[in-house]
Amino acid sequence: MDYAIQQGLNALAFGSEYALIALGLALVYSIMNLMNFAHGEIIACAGYSMYLAILIGIGSPWLVAPIAIAAGALVAVLFERIAFRPVRHAPTTTGLLTALGVSIVVQNLLTLLISPRPRAVPVFSELSRTIFIGPYAISLLQLLELAVVALAIGGLVLFLKHSTLGLAIRAATREFSTVRLMGIRANRVIATAFALSGLLAGIAAIFIIARRGSIDPTFGFQPVIKAFIACVIGGFGSLGGAVLGGMLLGFLDVAIIVLLPQEYGGLRDAIAYSIIAGLLVWRPEGLLTRRIELGDKEI
Amino acid sequence: MSVTTQTRSAQKTLAPWMRSLVGGLVTALPVILIGIVILLFAPAYLVRVAFAAYVNLLIVLGLQIFMGNSMVANLGQGAFVGIGAYSVAILATPVAMKKLSIPDAPFGLADIVLHPALAAGAGLGITGLIAALTGLVIARLSGEAATIVTFSLMMVVHSIFIQWTDLFKGAQAFFGIPQVVGLATAIGAATLATIIARLFKDSASGLHLRASAESLLAARAFGVDVFRLRLLAWILGAVICASGGILYAFFMGTINARAFHFELVMTTLAMLILGGMRTVSGAVFGCIALALLLEAIRSVESGIAVAGFQLPPLLGLSGLAMGAIIVLGMTFRPRGIFVRLELDELLWRLFARRQPRAITEGKPI
Amino acid sequence: MLSVNRLSVHYGPIRALDAASIRIGRGEFVALLGPNGAGKTSLISGIAGLVRAQGRVLFEDREIGALPTEDRVRRGLTMTPEGRHVFANLTVAENLRLGAAIRRDREGVAQDIEKYLGLFPILRERNHQLAGTLSGGEQQMLAIARSMMSRPRLLMLDEPSLGLAPRIVAQMFDYISLLKEAGVTLLVVEQNVMQALKHADRAYVISSGIIRHEGKAEELRSDRRLIDMYLGN
Repeated sequence: MDYAIQQGLNALAFGSEYALIALGLALVYSIMNLMNFAHGEIIACAGYSMYLAILIGIGSPWLVAPIAIAAGALVAVLFERIAFRPVRHAPTTTGLLTALGVSIVVQNLLTLLISPRPRAVPVFSELSRTIFIGPYAISLLQLLELAVVALAIGGLVLFLKHSTLGLAIRAATREFSTVRLMGIRANRVIATAFALSGLLAGIAAIFIIARRGSIDPTFGFQPVIKAFIACVIGGFGSLGGAVLGGMLLGFLDVAIIVLLPQEYGGLRDAIAYSIIAGLLVWRPEGLLTRRIELGDKEI
Repeated sequence: MSVTTQTRSAQKTLAPWMRSLVGGLVTALPVILIGIVILLFAPAYLVRVAFAAYVNLLIVLGLQIFMGNSMVANLGQGAFVGIGAYSVAILATPVAMKKLSIPDAPFGLADIVLHPALAAGAGLGITGLIAALTGLVIARLSGEAATIVTFSLMMVVHSIFIQWTDLFKGAQAFFGIPQVVGLATAIGAATLATIIARLFKDSASGLHLRASAESLLAARAFGVDVFRLRLLAWILGAVICASGGILYAFFMGTINARAFHFELVMTTLAMLILGGMRTVSGAVFGCIALALLLEAIRSVESGIAVAGFQLPPLLGLSGLAMGAIIVLGMTFRPRGIFVRLELDELLWRLFARRQPRAITEGKPI
Repeated sequence: MLSVNRLSVHYGPIRALDAASIRIGRGEFVALLGPNGAGKTSLISGIAGLVRAQGRVLFEDREIGALPTEDRVRRGLTMTPEGRHVFANLTVAENLRLGAAIRRDREGVAQDIEKYLGLFPILRERNHQLAGTLSGGEQQMLAIARSMMSRPRLLMLDEPSLGLAPRIVAQMFDYISLLKEAGVTLLVVEQNVMQALKHADRAYVISSGIIRHEGKAEELRSDRRLIDMYLGN
């Protein structure tokens, strides 16, 4: 029983991390049909901002965490301004490949400027404690992660429901040029979506750092691949789908670890990707599909 | 009367086919010439570099056949390169060698050895079969779903290479493959693949597939069986990618699963994009250009002496350049160097000047 | 108020609008008539800045041809796109709020919302429903109300009667006339020639991307030859 609860919590923590990253991808995708492969590098840059903060002597986690979040948002907006704006109206494939290019550029920049090898970021070591709730030993980090992700998602929902820009982002998922006809600046809507996705990436970076304790240039790659898959499973562009897909993937990961005999551990990926491919063949548009309409996406 | 009509119609059906063949040869000409120059004059280390470039060219051509005609982004070509390479590694490596490296191989594979040519044929066959099976799924999908499934395919194949140590030696290098090919073979194969890619592009199947990429609905309305055509292109592209892997294995003698992973996918993809994925000439020239550039950067990357100063190694420079090329290419020339017309068609226009430029350069919105 | 001089719109090699010139005076209700594919939507999209266009667009004596759509809307020139371009995944209330996105006067916005919910009572009933669940006529009303929320001085309507039942078409034109009485200058694209000419002051006739004719609405209405030639009914 104890084991089951522990694994359930594990799955929730993994899932919420994937969901957080997937939400960022879905936000950007929903308004400009861009599969932002460079999202992983936003996470990496947020991570390196923590490394640099410590390097210049900022040691308090209470300062480092906001720096990471701000760095995530800033980098996301910069990517949009520099790389994605020129290809905004291009076909999906062009955007996807641009994002891949950005991802490669930033990874190699980090390699060149900092180091190809992992660097220690020991700022959140406090969090790797175990606390006891009743009879259960629970990782403080996981608990915190669940709470923060819930808060972040809640905040995002409030923003999307009540602020004008939030409404505009939701409206732009289907009717981008009509949003412009409301006098709302397209650039602001897109920049806001990127900033939000960067914020979420920054939060994710904090928890990944807290778990790993170090960072390297390919830091964001693995989580973002997972988040991508979460998006595709959930239905690309659907925010609810991103969360659902992320959670599902978290449970899938843990289930594979728990159920797969030790000696086949290397097949984790093979099994996960087979299931993913199977899901996509079964439902190419994802589980929570955004209904395809003849909107005005060309403009 | 009927005889003349027949010959004339025969000419008509033959002429475009011949023209594609000649066009393919014209496109392959630089491939052949560069190859001959290297064969005759270059030092041994350059031959190795050139060989790797020719293998990449094969993969880029394989990629072009599927992506360039169907316009579905493929991130999984590494799987087929790897399958080709491992097929010949397992089948053609001498038994004595295999007793050392994979003594516990299943199906008695440790105890058999095939002639390299037979092994290569088997490798292409196995790849074709796997491509046909996976193609049944991928050809049905479009857009992001298709792309993610191609990527999943590579991840699955890669983890099988790594996990199934009895057969693939896992993360370790698979050594002892007979080194039976040289640069000349690679040049020949690349030339052949260039011509095949061009013939496919200009064939009725290629034309219909390209039409379906412009408008899926319209093509379907005209009775084009998009599924069958995509499947065809997928299998053909996979087999050509595998031929690259096979040559690679037979040249190097040692292979490692890591060589068939993400980095390979990115490099070949960048080459294709740079050149222009809709044309075979784009595949060829994108590969040549990026191979030259990357080689130049690699020599800087490992640290060179400039004006008496020894520069430190700059790890990441070649990756940086490649990423930058993709981004800049997408920004300024999203359709690549050869947008729509092949090299021979451009040359033909240049010399003939039969049509106004506006039409030859006419691009859609 | 609006003066368009030799405006052309191309979609790749296809010329959808060829050097069209129109003028609209303050407070006028002008109809833009023509068959399907004549270039009507291209003209108003070009004026709104939604498609790239060559030529001059003067709005209230200022050249706006180089401005992005958003800035044109902020200057009081807006367009209600044809048919179902409401924000289907937002509620009616949210649609109206977004319509007022450029305004800072909260009270004025609240008053205007009240005003249009009063004008279109059905929208008040459906205030918290998703706009995508409304009927075609209701969506059209919502689209118009939403455009009005930005307090435009010139409103361009693209086919407000498209897909509506004949009874509702007449009602829709009554609403549009109300807007004119409220002081809004109107440019209305229509295929429903007779309804449009009944309410408009003036009309342009366009076909194959070229402005063919311009005149007072009542004169055009009695010109059978012109109507047969270009408008086909």
